[in-house]
Amino acid sequence: MFHAKVIDIKKEKIEISKAELFIGSSKFGASIYFTGTVRDTNKNKKVTGITYDSHDDLVIKSFEDIYKETDEKLHIKNKVVFIEHVKGYVGLGEISIIIAVACKHRTEAYDLSRYIIEEIKKRTPIWKKEHYEGQDSKWLEGNPLIDQNQLK
Amino acid sequence: MKIKLELFGASRDLSDKDFLEFYIEEKNSIKDLRKKIINYVENNFKGNENFKKIIETSAFCSEDNNIVSDAYRITKDQRIGIIPPIGGG
Repeated sequence: MFHAKVIDIKKEKIEISKAELFIGSSKFGASIYFTGTVRDTNKNKKVTGITYDSHDDLVIKSFEDIYKETDEKLHIKNKVVFIEHVKGYVGLGEISIIIAVACKHRTEAYDLSRYIIEEIKKRTPIWKKEHYEGQDSKWLEGNPLIDQNQLK
Repeated sequence: MKIKLELFGASRDLSDKDFLEFYIEEKNSIKDLRKKIINYVENNFKGNENFKKIIETSAFCSEDNNIVSDAYRITKDQRIGIIPPIGGG
């Protein structure tokens, strides 16, 4: 079972309780809830919040691809995965992403959760604009999805 | 042909709107569109090197939500998304 959604923070909340409802089952003995939250410093600058931007259709496609490939790459077929990521402004300490997984055993659950967040960081089209004290802000540099060789 | 270039991430700083519009020749490719956008930066942002770097390192997304290469031929009016380097989570 799989659930993926981009949460427009102006319209709705991102909530762990939804993940609990989705992954809860007596079929699985191990559940992991990963949340990403906004940290107060980055590279010695005081952060006041982050605005997340998203290509919603590509994000959902990316989440689906990552979920599907765990069958073969991690050999985990019996699982429940819940992924939600926000777009819009998120304040300090607030949640930007929830990855909740349930598997039969803990090793699978840890591996699955870790794999999903690392792949999202590498290839899901979400962008961060950090806001700093003094009303300064900056889009963070990220990982290019383009093959740089094609430009040479 | 008319291209509605949808802006994401750092490319949003190129306009107050969520998109830019470009007119390109028939059978032009993403490579040609990329040049057009760099020309836009030259003309409207005095060749801002940061903006040019963003465009040079961006991928592009077709109307049917596929990341397309520079060789991708644009054969009709359509929406194209510019996908700057990513870093969410």
